[in-house]
This record gives sequence, structure tokens and C-alpha cells, in this order.
Amino acid sequence: MLSYIYKRTSNAVQVLLFVSIITFAVLQWIPGDAAQLILGSEATPENLARLRTALGLDRPWYIQYWHWLKGLVQFDLGRSYVFGQDVVTLIQQRLPVTISIAVFSMLIASTIAIVLGILAAIRKNTMVDYLATGIMQLGSAVPAFWLGMLMIVYFGLELKWFPVSGYVPPDRGLGGYLNSIAMPSIVLAIGEVGMLLRTVRTSMLEALGQDFMDMAKAKGLSSFTIYFKYALRSAMIAPINVMGLQFAKLVGGTVVVESVFGLPGVGRLILVAVEQRDVFLLQGLVMFVTALVILISLLVDIAVMFINPRIRIEMQGE
Amino acid sequence: MLMLILVNLAGCAQKEKVEDVLRVAYTTDPQGLDPHRTAAVATFNITGSIYDTLLAVTPDWEIEPRLAESYTISPDGMEITFNLRKGVKFHNGREMKAQDVKFSFERLKGEDSPKAGDYKNIDGIEVLDDYTIKFTTTNLDVELVKAFTYPWTAIVPAEAADTLQTDPVGTGAYKFVQWIPQQQVKLTRNDEYFGEKAKIKDLEFILIPDATSQLAALQVGDIHITEITGNQVKTLSENPDLKVYTEPMNAVQILALNQENKALADVRVRQAIAKAIDKDAIIETVVWGYGDKIGAHLPVNYPDYIDTNHVMPYDPEGAKKLLAEAGYADGLNLELILPKSYQIHVDTGQIIADQLSKVGINTDIKIIEWGQWLSDVYSGKQYEMTVVALSGRLDSYYFLKRYHSESKDFISIPSGDIDELLEQSLKETDAAKRQEIFHQIQMILAERVPVVYIQTPHKTFGLAKNVEGFRIYPIDIYEYQNVYFAK
Repeated sequence: MLSYIYKRTSNAVQVLLFVSIITFAVLQWIPGDAAQLILGSEATPENLARLRTALGLDRPWYIQYWHWLKGLVQFDLGRSYVFGQDVVTLIQQRLPVTISIAVFSMLIASTIAIVLGILAAIRKNTMVDYLATGIMQLGSAVPAFWLGMLMIVYFGLELKWFPVSGYVPPDRGLGGYLNSIAMPSIVLAIGEVGMLLRTVRTSMLEALGQDFMDMAKAKGLSSFTIYFKYALRSAMIAPINVMGLQFAKLVGGTVVVESVFGLPGVGRLILVAVEQRDVFLLQGLVMFVTALVILISLLVDIAVMFINPRIRIEMQGE
Repeated sequence: MLMLILVNLAGCAQKEKVEDVLRVAYTTDPQGLDPHRTAAVATFNITGSIYDTLLAVTPDWEIEPRLAESYTISPDGMEITFNLRKGVKFHNGREMKAQDVKFSFERLKGEDSPKAGDYKNIDGIEVLDDYTIKFTTTNLDVELVKAFTYPWTAIVPAEAADTLQTDPVGTGAYKFVQWIPQQQVKLTRNDEYFGEKAKIKDLEFILIPDATSQLAALQVGDIHITEITGNQVKTLSENPDLKVYTEPMNAVQILALNQENKALADVRVRQAIAKAIDKDAIIETVVWGYGDKIGAHLPVNYPDYIDTNHVMPYDPEGAKKLLAEAGYADGLNLELILPKSYQIHVDTGQIIADQLSKVGINTDIKIIEWGQWLSDVYSGKQYEMTVVALSGRLDSYYFLKRYHSESKDFISIPSGDIDELLEQSLKETDAAKRQEIFHQIQMILAERVPVVYIQTPHKTFGLAKNVEGFRIYPIDIYEYQNVYFAK
């Protein structure tokens, strides 16, 4: 187990290094730099040159990269050109928002997906199954920005149940906090539920068709034990992998939903960093999101290992 | 649904309406709050309330005293001496003196100041006493006095300079409280303010990136002021709790033509393009009528503006004739680059492409991102035609100097048609004669069409019905201290 984690960690460091070089290089290749974007259409060649020197943009990219890397080793991600603040501070400010809506939307999506998915598999080709298929298709087909606007108009403007935009941190009241993340979480959940529901239903159907199910039935076990202890456990591997991927995606930020609901999340920050060519900010964000995705996939693998004895044995045999 | 209701019940206690806070929506975060270290309009929109400048400008373009009570200009026009107001306190409690003015201007002229180039003509700053300061220039600049009104000439205390980016300290009507990037900026009334104190106690800027969400927030009363687009005016005017306020911007929208292109170097081709474009149709469809047609490079509310719309009127037949004369009777192909981030320019460009096709000019539209536009088109001059808006300052020279043949600007006129007039305008001390020069320049631009002038777009705001005293200024500031809620 320990050697496995060590191997995964050293892999992760390599991935991070590789990703950082790619990000840095791409920002050098695409036209436009931070100085140009700061000055906009008021720039004169003279002003541009001065600002480039002041920001250190006149140095070759590998020197800039080297300086950045030296900082990274000391856990210093540098300063954002746009905001004039430390990149670490900026990420810390956004993280609670993004994690909140990622967690809540995954909670909603997985609850619906697991319950409906199991029911749909057990009662194949009945009303429940058709309802589940309907939700799958609808969830994937409805664009998030449209659904978001619709909810703002109905639940925000008409019924005035929820604030139409903005984020309230939990320390300013739990009610306000939940209210502010409810609509975005639901919109994201609807987007994710289809895929997850489909996976739960398919894996469950597959599990129900396995030989050991007949054995369990023959032994006269209650249907609850059959479905939830045996079938579900074997059917959860694929859905957990999907949930991991979905959660990683949500943590990486959701630009559209964040924009529609005016949420200060990671997604919009990435957008600003790219648009403004804020090299250090983007670099820091990419590092952070990559590390998080690697961590989540590690956790998913470990979770799957505990559920599935076969994978556990393979690991020990290494 | 049950979940929705449960969550909602938990949050009900939150709702309260306090009329002691003015909430303003904004779309882009400031680039820090240090006025000497940015060129971002988003910063000045906010810092305008925190800092003061020596002089100020009214919504009607009048210059008025602010931190300086009065000023005198030497007979040769090379020196300007300011008498400072006494007893003005920074937000940290210390009195503002001439030494602070000197410090601030030296900082503005410093290494990493994006606006330093605009002030290189000032070569001497001399503190005569605590309340008197003299600026000396290298060359005569008859518009110098206006240079002291811009928000980037804010006076700051030396002891706070290093942290202004995130913790601004000024002398303004509002004091800084908190900035949570991409969320909000909070200010509160400066009770020690030397002028008339702010009417509303707290001022909050709330970031809402999406235009539709901004309007929704205005409709439910979460915010009181937000900028809106023409197509939102109808929704807004149907709501009895809201109102619309609109004024021409200090900017011109143009179709820039690169004269390094052989066809575009021919004045007849440029005139043909101008005649082929129906500006009224553009204004009607793109900005829903909230724009004013122009014929030269000054916005309609500019003091030096003259109406030149009659010079190149919409005339597709005349355009075809001019093209034939220039040898393009069989048509002409041109590339039109549009900056993606600005929907108004993309929409305008598409209508222009359609209108040009009717006189035989085929356009190849290429939509690129703003960063690339700045690098390729603006700095690199790699384009044939593009649509963009250029914003102005208080003096016409600043607005028009791009056209000088040696400006290296993306719209400079290679033949130097107005070089001499531009240089004259800088030295002409007689205001009436100077204005005459700018009238001449506008006529030349209208006739020679170095670029096609489309419109002065409007700035339009949606306001809560009871918001009074909100005005639009010719430079990038808003004086929120004058805003109040009507009873």
C-alpha cells in the first residue's frame, strides 16, 4: 500500500511539472501579453515597453519559468498581475465557493442517480425505468446557462425564494449560505445526474445478471440483502469512478454557472487569468487544479480497492 | 423541490432592506486599487470615490477645484502653480500637504507606472510651501491643466504607498473597508471629508459578471445601479420600480482602415466604403438606437465637436461609382477583423460586411480574442479593416494625436494630412483659435476618411426608481457621494 502511494505521488510530481511547462509555453505562444491587456487601446509603443520591463515580461520565457519554479519549491506561487495579490490568497478566496457547489451538486446528483438507478435496474422496462431514462436524457440535453436563467427568473424574481446572484460565506449565517449555493448546485446536479444514473443502472443490471445473484436467491436471502449487500456493492465500482471524474471536473470550476449566478469561483478566475494573460495566476490555478484532480483520482482508486476484493488482491500481489 | 423549500426556509431570516447602503453592480474586477499602477477603467470606477485629484471635472466638462483651491498659469504657459486646500485629511488621519502632491506625481512618473509616458512633459515639481506647489513643463502644452483631473493623478500618502493595491488610503468622500476579489468592494462614508459629505453611508460594489443576472438583481432590489445594454431598456422601462439613465460616452466607434493595404490607400476606396455604410441602420439594430451618428473622430458631446455627417452621407450608388473610378468595378476583397470580447463591435462588423457586399466589396470576417486583437491589430498593425471603439480624454489633441504620421498608431495617417494642424493646436494659446484648428481637422478627417466614423455609443444605466444624483462623467469616474435615495 505504501509503495503504491509513493509511486502515485512521484507520478503526480512528474505530471505537475509537465503541465506547468505546457501552460507556461502556451501562454508565450498565444498572441498578446499582460502589459498589452493592462494598457488596452490606450497603449503607446513607449508605454508598452516600459510596462513590459516593469513586469519582467521582457525576459526570455525560460528565465521567467525558472523564477516561477524556484518560487514554487518554496510554496510561493507568485503574484497576480491583474489583482496585485498573492496567487495563493486568490485561490483560497475562491475555493470555498467551488468546493461548496461541487460537493452539494454531487450529493444531489448521486442521491438521485443511485436511488433511481437501482430502482430502474430492478424494475426494468417499467414506469420507474422510463422515468429514469427520461431524466438521463433531459439532464444531459438542457444547457446549464438556460436552466440557470430560468431558475433565476422563477425562483429568484417571481417567488423570491433565493438570491438571484452572489455568494454568502457560511460564517455569515448558514441559511444565507445554503440559499446562495442552492440554485447553482441544483443546476450543476441536473447536468451531472444523467451520466451517473446511466452508469448506476447499467452496472446494477450487469450485477443482477451475475451467477452469484442466482446463488443468493437460491439461498433464500431477503431481496433487501440481495440488492443492497451483494448487487449494489459489486455494481458501485463504475459509478464511483464516474463520480470521481465528475467531482474533479466540478472542482476545476464551472465558468458558465459561476457567471450566471455571479459566484466568485475557481472557474471564473481561470477565465480571467487566460483573458488577461495573467501568467502566474493561471500557472498557480492550473497547478492547483491538476493536483486536486490527481488527489481525487487517488482517493477514488483507494475507495474502489476497499469495495472490490479482487482489486485489493491484485495490489498485494504487486 | 422539497430540498428547495427546506433550504429556502433556512435562509428566510437573511432578507432585510436597509436604505443606508448603495449597491452598484460591476462586471470586471479592478486591477488592484492603486491608481498609479494601472490603466484599468474598472479600477478608476471605484478608486474615484476613495482618492481625490487636484482638479475635478463636472458631467458638463467644466474644470473645478478639488484638492487645489485655485491655480495660476505663468504668462509663457510653461508653469502651473496650485494653492492647496488646508485641513484636508487622509483616511489615516494625517493632513495632506504639498509634499504628498510631489510624492504622488513622482510616483505616477515612476518606473512601473503605465501612465508615466503621459506626464513626461512635466520636468519639475517644486514644493513652495506646505500648501503651494509648482509644476514646470519642457514643452508648451496649452491643455496641461486638464491633465490634473484624471483619476490616475490621485494624491496618496507616502506611508501607505506600498499597500495601496489592496488597502487604498486617499482623501476621498468614501473610505475603503474591504475588497474580496471577484465578489465585492465595500466603502464607507468619510466623515472627515473636506467637501460635502456622502449622502449614503455605505457604498458596495457587487460583482455580477452576467448582464442578464445584473438586470435580475436590479429587479429584485439587490442592487440599485447597473450598466445595461440597449436591448434591456424595454424590460426595464416596463418595471415601475426602475428607471433608465443614458448619455453619450466619451468614445467613438470606428471602422479602421489600414492604409498599408493598396486598395485602402486610395482615398476613393475609403470614401466608397464610408458611403456604403448605413450608420443609422447600425445604431438602430446594434445598440437599439442608443448611439449618435458621427462623421469625424470626436464624440458628439465634446466641446470641440462639429457635425460632419453631411460630408460622406449614405449613398450606395455613389459608392459604386467611386469604386469603379478607382479601378474596382469588378469588386474588391477585404478582411475584417473583429474583437470577440466586444459584442457591439462584432455585431457592427457583421452589418458592415453585409452593407459592403451590396456595393461589390466582399469581406472575409475573422473574429479573434481581445488579447490577440491588441497584439496583432493594435500593436502589430496586421489588419485590413477592424471595428473598435476608442475612448477619449478631456482635450481634443489627446484624442486626435493617433493620426499623426509618426505616432506608430494602428490608424496613423501615412501622408501626414493633419500633422501640421495637430502641432499648431498644441501651441495655440487662444482658445477660440484652437477650437478653429480642431474644426478644420474634423473636416479633413470627414473628407479624407482615414477610418470610417460610425457612432458615439451611449452609456446606459438601469437605476432603482428612488436613486437620484447619479451622473455620467466624461472621464472614467462616478461621484457616488452625490447619489441619494429620494423619499
